[in-house]
Amino acid sequence: MARAAVLGRLAWLAAEVAGTKWETPRVRTLELSVPGWADHLAGQHLDVRLTAEDGYQAQRSYSIASAPGETLALTVERLDDGEVSPYLVDEAREGDGFEVRGPIGGYFVWEPDDPTPVLLVGGGSGVVPLMAMARSRAQVGGTAPMRLLYSSRSLEDVIYRDELEELPGDGFDVVHTLTREQPAGWTDYSRRIDPELLAEVAWPVEDEPKVFVCGSTRFVDAAADGLVGLGYDPRWIRTERFGATG
Amino acid sequence: MGIISRGFRGRRQDGPPDRVPPGQYLTDDFPVLSAGPTPHTPIEEWTFSIQGFDSEPVSWTWEEFRALPSETITKDIHCVTKWSKLDTSWEGVSVDTLLEGIEHEAEYVVAFCDGGYTTNLPLEDVTDGKAWVAYGYDGEPLEPEHGGPARLLVPHLYFWKSAKWVRGLSLREEDEPGFWEQNGYHLRGDPWLEQRYWGD
Amino acid sequence: METSDLKLDGNAIGGLLNELFGTELTAAPCVCGGCGAREELARLDVYVHAPGVVVRCRHCEDVMIQIVRGPTRTWIDVTGTARLELG
Repeated sequence: MARAAVLGRLAWLAAEVAGTKWETPRVRTLELSVPGWADHLAGQHLDVRLTAEDGYQAQRSYSIASAPGETLALTVERLDDGEVSPYLVDEAREGDGFEVRGPIGGYFVWEPDDPTPVLLVGGGSGVVPLMAMARSRAQVGGTAPMRLLYSSRSLEDVIYRDELEELPGDGFDVVHTLTREQPAGWTDYSRRIDPELLAEVAWPVEDEPKVFVCGSTRFVDAAADGLVGLGYDPRWIRTERFGATG
Repeated sequence: MGIISRGFRGRRQDGPPDRVPPGQYLTDDFPVLSAGPTPHTPIEEWTFSIQGFDSEPVSWTWEEFRALPSETITKDIHCVTKWSKLDTSWEGVSVDTLLEGIEHEAEYVVAFCDGGYTTNLPLEDVTDGKAWVAYGYDGEPLEPEHGGPARLLVPHLYFWKSAKWVRGLSLREEDEPGFWEQNGYHLRGDPWLEQRYWGD
Repeated sequence: METSDLKLDGNAIGGLLNELFGTELTAAPCVCGGCGAREELARLDVYVHAPGVVVRCRHCEDVMIQIVRGPTRTWIDVTGTARLELG
């Protein structure tokens, strides 16, 4: 387990929104200034707590999008009947404050000094912690072969689209699948992830790769089962199920 | 208390105080809560039974259960996680109907369910028109995520007592804490007395 | 919403466990008291849309951990967990 991941009891820290960026029509990145924030590892998340004027509180977990050492950033998808995500995506602006607790997680974590080939499999906003891993690798010039298999509904829903076009090269590549709608001339995949697709994309079993899968429960379980069906050892695969929590 | 976030309110609505118990908020949705996977008992295998007294348990198959006299009722429901929903419409069989003709000295019941969930109630909280086994919600068959084919419905208590996927009632002489009552939740759960946890 | 979305994993309660036990626990292997399966807590089935948190074995679905938070007390039932390994 990552040595830096165990930090003792975490405290709620004051976070201030330092910048915002729209990624897609439903997804926005918030850059945060959090005095006292201890650095994190790629894959970890934090808890966000909002308090209303009458004392009512709501709390949700969000994966950290930024690489260690970069400005702390969250990327949040608006869920229509959500309680916290509509606030973070549509309302929060620079200077606004709330509380965060983290970094959390010692299991779904990747460190760039690991030379094992890595397969990242993300569905929708499940790409967020995987992006932190890709950014972490790029930041230190990591050499482990890394491939991101990223499933989105349509091109418009691809989070970090421009950055994912620029990052590849030097051992990192991206394979997209658009499950609902594809633009004219689209040459990547056009369907939900299935065993055939995985067989074409996944690293060979002989590489004994590390795999990180993140997305909805259905997405994660199908991808993990598919990889095991190809001969992957379940212990190589680390998963994080996002609920439709809002 | 934490840092106040400008402009954050949450999704809560206030409601008329005579209908919304203390500490509750109104919702228009019907949130789905669950302590485990949704069971899918085939309807041919489904039975409902009353157990735990001197003679044989009484049991109904689905066809027999659906042939019992049923009622359509409209009730407010209150979840201990703080949401309340007013004027919900249900169809089902009154527990009074199910207990008719059964001689016993029980003072409590335990509802038992597919998936292993249990909840305990005083007998007087499920009799005299206070409880049903419901198989219809809002004019439609009760969906599995909301407890279908049938759930217990005890609207005057917190909704964790309205056990989903109910398969029967066990009559008891003593109160026996169920799934949540064993681990902190109140044995009775009256929302108007805010009986959420032990000692409330 | 798919009802399968209600089922998360131990990653979702990392913050809660840190708050209750003062340390990171999601990477800790746990042994199911029912079937003996050993999995990291992060890989267990976790239900949080409920009056409390319920952690189930992903193999036999038995309840391994149940957590109820009251205003002044927290009830933690681990009778379904035979062993937890730290370190």
